Amino acid sequence: MVEILKELEDRFQVTDLVQQKDHLAFVSVDKNKAIPMITWLKDQAGYTSLTLLTAVDWLEDGKFQLTYMINNPKKNSQIAARVMIDRENATMESAHHLWESIRIYQRELKEMFGIDFPGSPEVDESFILEGWVDIPPYRRDFDTKKYSDETYFPRPGRQSNDPAEYMKSKMYPNE
Amino acid sequence: MSIKDLLTPFTAWKRITKEPVTIRDPFNDRPGAERYRGFHKNDVNKCIGCGTCEDICENEAIDMVPFKDPISGDSGLRPRLDYGRCCWCALCVDVCTTNSLTLSNEYTWVTVDPEDFRYTPGVDKKAWDDNEKGWKKPEGSYEFYNINRVEMHHLHPEDRDKSFVEMVKGYSREQAIAEADRCVECGICTATCPAHMGIPEYIKAVRHEDMEEGLRILYETNPLPEICGRICTHKCETVCSIGHKGDPLSIRWLKRYIADNVSSDKYKEILNTKDLSNNHKKVAIIGSGPAGLSAAHYLALMGYQCTIFEQYEKAGGMMRYGIPEYRLPYDSIDKDIDYILSLGVDIKYNTRIGTDITLEQLNKDYNAVFAGTGLHLGRSTGIPGSDNEHVYYATDLLRQITAGEEIEVTDQIVVIGGGNVAMDITRSLARMQNQKFGKVNIITTALEREKNLPADLEEVVESREEGAIINPGWAPQSIEIENGRPVGLHVIKCNSLFDDTGRFNPQCDITKKEFFPGSMIVQSIGQGMDLSFVNEDFKKDLEFGSRGRVVTNAYFQTSVKWFFMGGDIIEGPDVIHGIANGHKAAIGIDNYIQGIDFTPAK
Amino acid sequence: MDLTKMFQFNADRSSYPELDANGKPIIDLSSHKYLKLWQGPQHPGVTGNMSLELTVNGDEIVESKTHVGYLHRGFEKLMERRKFIQCFPTCIRMCVAEPDPNEYILSACIEELSGIEVPETAQWLRTLALEMARLQVLLRGVPGQAGTFSLGLGYQWGNYIRDLILDRFEELTGGRVYHMYILPGGVRGLLPDGFKKRMEENLKLVDEFLVNINDLMYNNIVFKQRAVGLAVIPVEWIDQYGVYGPAARAAGIMRDVRKTHPYLKYSELDFEPYTTTASDVYARSLVRWHDLKMTVDLIRQIMAKMPDKGEIKAPTPNVMHWRIPKGETYVKCESSRGEYGMYMVTDGSDMPRRVNLKGPSYTHATALLERLLINANIADTAAIMVSLATCPPEIER
Repeated sequence: MVEILKELEDRFQVTDLVQQKDHLAFVSVDKNKAIPMITWLKDQAGYTSLTLLTAVDWLEDGKFQLTYMINNPKKNSQIAARVMIDRENATMESAHHLWESIRIYQRELKEMFGIDFPGSPEVDESFILEGWVDIPPYRRDFDTKKYSDETYFPRPGRQSNDPAEYMKSKMYPNE
Repeated sequence: MSIKDLLTPFTAWKRITKEPVTIRDPFNDRPGAERYRGFHKNDVNKCIGCGTCEDICENEAIDMVPFKDPISGDSGLRPRLDYGRCCWCALCVDVCTTNSLTLSNEYTWVTVDPEDFRYTPGVDKKAWDDNEKGWKKPEGSYEFYNINRVEMHHLHPEDRDKSFVEMVKGYSREQAIAEADRCVECGICTATCPAHMGIPEYIKAVRHEDMEEGLRILYETNPLPEICGRICTHKCETVCSIGHKGDPLSIRWLKRYIADNVSSDKYKEILNTKDLSNNHKKVAIIGSGPAGLSAAHYLALMGYQCTIFEQYEKAGGMMRYGIPEYRLPYDSIDKDIDYILSLGVDIKYNTRIGTDITLEQLNKDYNAVFAGTGLHLGRSTGIPGSDNEHVYYATDLLRQITAGEEIEVTDQIVVIGGGNVAMDITRSLARMQNQKFGKVNIITTALEREKNLPADLEEVVESREEGAIINPGWAPQSIEIENGRPVGLHVIKCNSLFDDTGRFNPQCDITKKEFFPGSMIVQSIGQGMDLSFVNEDFKKDLEFGSRGRVVTNAYFQTSVKWFFMGGDIIEGPDVIHGIANGHKAAIGIDNYIQGIDFTPAK
Repeated sequence: MDLTKMFQFNADRSSYPELDANGKPIIDLSSHKYLKLWQGPQHPGVTGNMSLELTVNGDEIVESKTHVGYLHRGFEKLMERRKFIQCFPTCIRMCVAEPDPNEYILSACIEELSGIEVPETAQWLRTLALEMARLQVLLRGVPGQAGTFSLGLGYQWGNYIRDLILDRFEELTGGRVYHMYILPGGVRGLLPDGFKKRMEENLKLVDEFLVNINDLMYNNIVFKQRAVGLAVIPVEWIDQYGVYGPAARAAGIMRDVRKTHPYLKYSELDFEPYTTTASDVYARSLVRWHDLKMTVDLIRQIMAKMPDKGEIKAPTPNVMHWRIPKGETYVKCESSRGEYGMYMVTDGSDMPRRVNLKGPSYTHATALLERLLINANIADTAAIMVSLATCPPEIER
């Protein structure tokens, strides 16, 4: 693990190395170097298996974090590459040429986060949501509670009381 | 593939002779398991309506609905379930602070009206209310929060029993955060606190290490946090929901932690009191105890020019002259008081109303007067021998100790009384005996029996740790005098204090006698108010209620409109009532001076 | 007598479909040679609420598209707005049939990120719960493969025993389907009195079941005829398409997290996951049969080795405001379908920043199934789906 991380530093200038546990390490890599690094890991270093590709919305920083987690089944070693991309017009190079399965992840990310992967097969087809018109729902600024309140009807007659407020209203309303 | 593959599957035919495994009537023949998570039950008498179940419910299936009028320690609310949302995860049961909420093992319920599936367990009677089985958290297995208090470091008895150094060390940062973490933010405590402090909010500030926010919350309702953080009677802790199955939160120590951790030179900036407005109205305040200081503080924030008249040479009243230094160091008192005085509050020391200046004069010079004069007169037992000059009142001795005056300390002392003041004088005298004779020989006796002692438990325990003998349950009969000084106290066994109607009516057994030897006797059986600053004519205008207390309205206004009274003379006795009274009176005074009509019901 | 020849039927399909230069079928619906057929979302041959949009030519599938979204509840998103403890009743719904791995990976993520050590007894109980979950899934899953060929008898046998295992779950955890047993810090209860005895009685039934189902399915000419050689997954597809667990082991590739990354108490247990190389529906089903057998053995080992008493839960911060420092991790375990993992990102607040569940169905039911169905017979669709043990809720968490 240590050697491969060292190699990644040299070859792809990865930063923020965190060895989370024996067989799992996180690294940050520049957007332009991400796909070359993953390709290298897959073809040269035995990281042949894709565990997952997903995104984290860092709304405050205006960034999406893409996490490519790949696995070396022979060495039981897992590397997760964090790639920070701009939230505005979020676009990332597609990796569908590397794994057949990755187009599904990319399609879901397009739908749920609005991150585009130009060239990825079926990337524009809806995956889970049909006829969705709102902003991509997994973005942090999509308010599920608000959506639910507006879309569905709450059960009538429900009312709750905060214990402290209720006690105040009954025991010392004038203070 | 072979002929075998064609024939082998037919071995299934052998099962044709097997008994069927289906249950004819599963609903009636098959009760849920011992731990089954079925329909809710609630022991409504054990439940305190803290609402923690509502907070943890991720499905928002629980509403807190009124069940009865709230009382101290019980919000009167009870959880109502919406079975259209519940997922029976039982987190509500696991988090329940009183263990009142459980699940039964019942799992079938048929009704034609969907609204039936909203119900208040325990209030709306259900067939499964008496089911013994069902999910309850196994006793002592796990908790969702620490039910044990973070230990506060105290000086060991041998390190503290000779000196007046503060014995409670205060929480470290880690300890305070760990203690604050135990709070479930139910807010039950707020109603019980006489000042209705925002307790969950300032505990949250401790958790988030935001001392400035914490200080702001404290000062909203309490301008004496250093003092209260040390010696408050902490009624809040007696109703803390966590205390139902563990130790209550150390609310008092957390308050002290905030105050201790903000340096006094930052107060004005944090509390935004650098530039206070001035409305050129003047209020006179008699006494610089908690009630007077609190009133002065809140009046000053409103722009009033306050002047405090203090009979002694230092401010603080009973907080300074009644409470020993080992419990409340003088610099803590000074920190709180100096801040209030820095708001432009004027104080005249060594000025006694009635002798140095009359009340009538105050009425002329000021727009309103507030009196928080407290209870300073010691009560006498009135037993034979109690008029001897070596028989003292605890309040007098405590004041003299604070003032640095020499007091008599003999090698054998008897204290009469079971309250906190009795413990204060016991422990103060014990320290002085230790300094003078190298040993403690002091007996403290009280009418009340051990479990009914009015003093805080920790005071009794610590008194004993320091070598005093606390021997309660005795009624004093007479003080034996020989050669002009006491040699001891005769007592008889006291079996009960109150009769069936709750009236004070001690029942004693005269056959059980005891003699407590002592060359010095201290009486600490309560204090009375000293109204000597008010002249007789004025007294006629004041309305008195039962037990000789002055009648005030909810804003502590007496029957004389410009004259407000609060603190121990009206409610208590303790610091926090004084603070609450002073705050309320400040609002009343403001309304009075502005001519706003306020006719609250008491 | 060679029965194989007797039942062999191979139509000549050399002229359909026509392929373009890239080897993709040229599908022109107006040519009337092709038909769109929807299998699902409500269909007994679909494992849950998903649907397959099949383009068929005769009874042969030329193209398949997986449609999910019929039960999307956005649990990953909901968890971002829930306190860590509140995620616990939410996460289990990400795979209904086998909820315990959800509980485990969520708890393990939270524990790892906040540095909590789970007590020994709780670790054993977790291992037991996970194996019991596998047991009850496979009791339906193994005979379910025959069910897709209309042999429903074994499914009924399995379902009865599964009900008894659910009884054991009920007495251990208080729930039959949603156990909500493994919670952050530990588990919610010790074994009840007499549990091991009752469990052993149930396991004896499973032993018997294993023999009976072997006779009924794996030595059944019809089952063999249908399953052998069906939907072969070549070894090179394993990484390309993301194939995990039993499906990978049927292709001769050892993929079992219990063995490759032992978690909980698996390193103290003696077991060897079965592998074979045929990689067809029959082989995948046989791997599951061996898994079921191994699970029975594992449960016996666990019950023999585990302590009866002990701490069941490590103390945690107050769950009402449990904050976890900024960090991220991925925890995986072996579900009955293969590697089941959770990626959790925390940002120092009292709610997770992001939770991402990765179950094997995500790739099995989409990319892989779409590929495997090409040139398959319509009648084999259900069998191929079931052989991959697809679980739609874990695709559209």
